[in-house]
Amino acid sequence: MTEVTFKQFRSAAAGAIADPRLQSAIDGATLKFRTERHHALTELPDVDAMRDQLKAIRAATLSRLADHLETFERQATATGAKVHWARDAAEANQIAIDIARQHGVELIVKTKSMATEETHLNHALIDAGITPVETDLGEWIIQLAGEPPSHIVGPALHKTRQQVAELFSKEVGRELDPDDIPGLTAEARRLLREKFLAAGLGITGANLAVAETGSIVLVTNEGNGRLVTSAPPVQIALVGIEKIAPTWDDAAVWLQLLARSSTGQPLSIYTTAITGPAKADDPDGPREVHIILMDNGRSNQIGTGYEEVLECIRCGACLNACPVYQEVGGHSYGNPYSGPIGAVLVPLLFGLKEYEALPHASSLCTACLDACPVRINLPRMLLDLRRDEVQGRMLSPVERFIEQAAAYVLGHYRLYRLLTGTARIFQRPLVRGRFLRVPRRVNPAGERDLPSLAKRSFHDLWDEIR
Amino acid sequence: MSESKRIALMVTCLVDQVMPEVGVAAVRLLQRAGYTVDFPTEQTCCGQPFFNSGFRDQAVKLARRAVEIFEPYDAVVLPSGSCTTMIRAEYPHVLEAWPEWYERARQLAAKTYELSEFLVHWARWQPPHVANAPTLTYHDSCHMNRLLHLKQEPRTLLTAAGCTIVEMNESDRCCGFGGVFSIRLPEVSNAMTAEKVRRAAATEAGLLVSSDPGCLMQMRGMIKNTPLRAEHLATVLEELTR
Amino acid sequence: MSARDEILNKLRSRSRQPDTHPPAWRSRRHFDDLAERFAESLGKSKGEVIRAGSLDEAFEQLDQTLLALGARCVVANDEPPLSQIDLAARWPGMQWHIVGRTPGDLRGFCATADAGVSSVVAALAETGSVVVTSGPGKSRLATLLPPVHIALVPESCLTADLYTFTAARQGPPPAMQTLISGPSKTADIEQTMAVGVHGPKRFIVILYRD
Repeated sequence: MTEVTFKQFRSAAAGAIADPRLQSAIDGATLKFRTERHHALTELPDVDAMRDQLKAIRAATLSRLADHLETFERQATATGAKVHWARDAAEANQIAIDIARQHGVELIVKTKSMATEETHLNHALIDAGITPVETDLGEWIIQLAGEPPSHIVGPALHKTRQQVAELFSKEVGRELDPDDIPGLTAEARRLLREKFLAAGLGITGANLAVAETGSIVLVTNEGNGRLVTSAPPVQIALVGIEKIAPTWDDAAVWLQLLARSSTGQPLSIYTTAITGPAKADDPDGPREVHIILMDNGRSNQIGTGYEEVLECIRCGACLNACPVYQEVGGHSYGNPYSGPIGAVLVPLLFGLKEYEALPHASSLCTACLDACPVRINLPRMLLDLRRDEVQGRMLSPVERFIEQAAAYVLGHYRLYRLLTGTARIFQRPLVRGRFLRVPRRVNPAGERDLPSLAKRSFHDLWDEIR
Repeated sequence: MSESKRIALMVTCLVDQVMPEVGVAAVRLLQRAGYTVDFPTEQTCCGQPFFNSGFRDQAVKLARRAVEIFEPYDAVVLPSGSCTTMIRAEYPHVLEAWPEWYERARQLAAKTYELSEFLVHWARWQPPHVANAPTLTYHDSCHMNRLLHLKQEPRTLLTAAGCTIVEMNESDRCCGFGGVFSIRLPEVSNAMTAEKVRRAAATEAGLLVSSDPGCLMQMRGMIKNTPLRAEHLATVLEELTR
Repeated sequence: MSARDEILNKLRSRSRQPDTHPPAWRSRRHFDDLAERFAESLGKSKGEVIRAGSLDEAFEQLDQTLLALGARCVVANDEPPLSQIDLAARWPGMQWHIVGRTPGDLRGFCATADAGVSSVVAALAETGSVVVTSGPGKSRLATLLPPVHIALVPESCLTADLYTFTAARQGPPPAMQTLISGPSKTADIEQTMAVGVHGPKRFIVILYRD
């Protein structure tokens, strides 16, 4: 079981902060995403109403999720798709492996999918002797590097072109020029084209699934989503159970805000809906389509104060807005889901004890709340997770004591004045102007100067100034 | 204007202990705007630190305490955007399990104001224009800007007093404080503050102003090697309008 | 209990009081000139638009486009208006694969073709998108594998936006429907835009009055 303790988070974050190449990569990418999102949203005269609509759609859908899932299953089945259900990641992976084995598949092409990242499907496939190839350029880069994605939308945004050129050079067996990005892209096209045409199975996620027609909707700019669902004879889509849009009218709102919030495009280059396998008289397309509806901790949130987290459409806008993410990068979160949404979602899906640091990886600045197209109140949920940690006695006894003692003192103002008065006396040898001179290694604020208490408190001054 | 109204200053624990001059300046400004200010001396802390670190029971106790202390007044003014947000946005939520307390919290929330908000909208006070007022850059604190939507009010006051505001890149970017966050994850917090300070320094304004004592304390801790001075809106305005 | 029943039962037992589903969002866009807006939007995402005053003129534009490309192998979907003319007779110097009519390996042909030609079922003015679908004579790979995709788009199939398009849908959807809003592109290497990573490097729309 993976863990992200305070110690681990701090050490990963410190590493990221000390890496100037990484910092400039993250700064550049998030700034670009942020700026383009801003333009794309502000050019819509009715964007606030549209966001309210998406919020209402997502909330209402979750309140009747079982009904919508049944509708989806019925409609998808009617089109000839096979619908499977998975309680957890292991079940989902096993279903995919079984399908691959039934067809004797050795090579699989994949689109970028957070759901398959969540289940670590690639590891499971490799263990089963099957080769998965990521076809989204960013995902392929990190697959070659053996790394998890560092961003929901730009999985390889932490990689520089030199690092990419190095990875690709190894793959093609000759030196590639890092400054020729179109050239690098062309190499990827050539290499991956062979894989598309050779693969026996295509695996996708789903940006959303439309219940009324049983359709899977995939959004890509590269066209790999189209290729994965066109070239191989069999397709599997792994879909989180929360990704349901009841109708196409709902899906339209979702798609508009998804594209504008994630990459700042009016629509992504390709928005593809797959409704069942190819028809008998279609000239091409998959002859079999399997859809795996996966729970993996999602149903636990339904009906709780955390249900709202399931409204997420994975646009990544909260990551781009988050000043913490911009410093620490995606890998510090220890999970494919990073940034503010990861800080909430990961402890909820995979355990608050295991991911104790994540609810604290936020200054509660609320930039994520502003950025979220669905207006998910992530800061509220971070606060509630911290409350759960306190109530579940997950914090150290020392911290617990300090917080409780401080609150007690602040609840008794004579005691408060007495103790702060005493502290004024004891701090004297350390005071340097507005600051305390504390040796760095015992300074809980690190390199930041701690403030000294003023010579006299406002309480002390009040009688003179009133 | 109703000078007969009873105005209470909630000075906040940070101003009380670390920067009392901000409280003094706030009192002077309110007086100049024509108000008599009261300071209920039993006040301590709004409870936000405990709310933010998950200690709800403790936050509830301090919230109730503040409700009791401040509810007799016609208006409560704070020189802190984030403590104002605590009372306005969070007290009703924190106390929602107790209908009577919830109602009292709502009533208190409805008459609680951040200082610049109070001066601009309720006191309708306009500072006199001062020649040679400083050039400065303004840091929008997160809660004041995004939750209370008070972005223009401090700028209105500073500009009226003659200050020139040079906006920094993303003035609403978090300063890195975040209360206990700044101690739990100091490396991250400090990196955020360094970024903030870099952007402020890039304006070459020399003076960095904010309406939040928490942000000020944080930024002051990281500006030692810069030409910047970080000051509270209240002290800057008070000096200018003496 | 099956995974299906377990998940559905759990959702049902936990669900709160259902919210009322909001009424469908309807388009609020109005464009005086749909064709103009379409061309402008598609241009922004690096798509190319050629205007033609009639279908005949559109075919002439197609002639010139294929000539300019130096295309020798072209795959075409067998759908109107392409099905109205004898492509092989019109361009005797080129090797044509008409989907569903030309025998042989469609996939192999698409993989080496210089261009793919199709029509569309609709075009969205706001975002500069065309809608292509699967169906008899309509290959998915024909508009995807060749380096250039040329789409013949009659102005009569223009609609305001995604909302007017979804509101007008009828009957069960095809197995595949794709909205195309430009050439294939990526910004995965240092946010630098590169076109043609997997799909067509050029997306050319011949928009004609009908």
